[in-house]
Amino acid sequence: MKALVVDDSGVMRKVLIGALGRANITDVDQAADGKEAVDAVLAAEYNLVLMDWNMPNMLGIDAVRAIRASGKTMPIIMVTTEAEKGRVMDALKAGANNYIIKPFEPNTIVSKIQEVLAKAS
Amino acid sequence: MRAEHINPFIESVYELFNTMLQGKVERGPIGVSSGNDSPRDIMAIIGISGPTRGTIAIGFPAITALSMVGRILGTPVTVIDETVSDGVAEIVNIVAGSAKAKLNTDASRPLDLSLPTVVYGDKYDVQYPSKAVWLEVPFTSDLGDFNLRVTFETVPQ
Repeated sequence: MKALVVDDSGVMRKVLIGALGRANITDVDQAADGKEAVDAVLAAEYNLVLMDWNMPNMLGIDAVRAIRASGKTMPIIMVTTEAEKGRVMDALKAGANNYIIKPFEPNTIVSKIQEVLAKAS
Repeated sequence: MRAEHINPFIESVYELFNTMLQGKVERGPIGVSSGNDSPRDIMAIIGISGPTRGTIAIGFPAITALSMVGRILGTPVTVIDETVSDGVAEIVNIVAGSAKAKLNTDASRPLDLSLPTVVYGDKYDVQYPSKAVWLEVPFTSDLGDFNLRVTFETVPQ
């Protein structure tokens, strides 16, 4: 099981890597913006992507669109401060499978990861 | 800008403490900031644009910034470095992002956040645009004191 964590905040990437560890996912790559994420997804196989929205170079939602356009079907969870209903709908329409709004409780994100992976298997 | 406009930001601070920081926080009275007093060591700043535009700044003494970032990471942080800068930037990002969802009632005109900026030092002044009114709220918490400053205006359609 291999995951990609995409966030321009190194602190948030560490938090998310910790959550993945508690969900027994320890093989994790990191990307600091949407462009790096797309490059990583095209170069390797991932079982899960956690994607921020607001990042330099390429927004997370544009990265989701690019990943889906490339034919990749792994689950993508948006993990973002963008909490408006319209933004959630936009992300789901772009191809995200689930949505976690920051701030989150540490346990919430672990159970959401497990739920998304169970649905995908 | 009316005093109640700062309420979504105050609520967002409480949400942050109830979730990721798992701590207790109390706010002080809302006041108008002159911008000439910056008794803080680190300030994280973020802009909101769209039908409402403005700026949100959270000022931290170094000890509070270390405690808050340490709590988020689940490990003690003892030195002000890139990690702390990154952490306080994420804190202002979360507070502003959460508040903008509460502020925005028009789904057809979404609000956008800028990328956060972090300023270090205890000797800086903040020069506000001449007509801007900044509201300020001091907070006390089990992770230390900090303050929140907000200014924004609604842009006519």
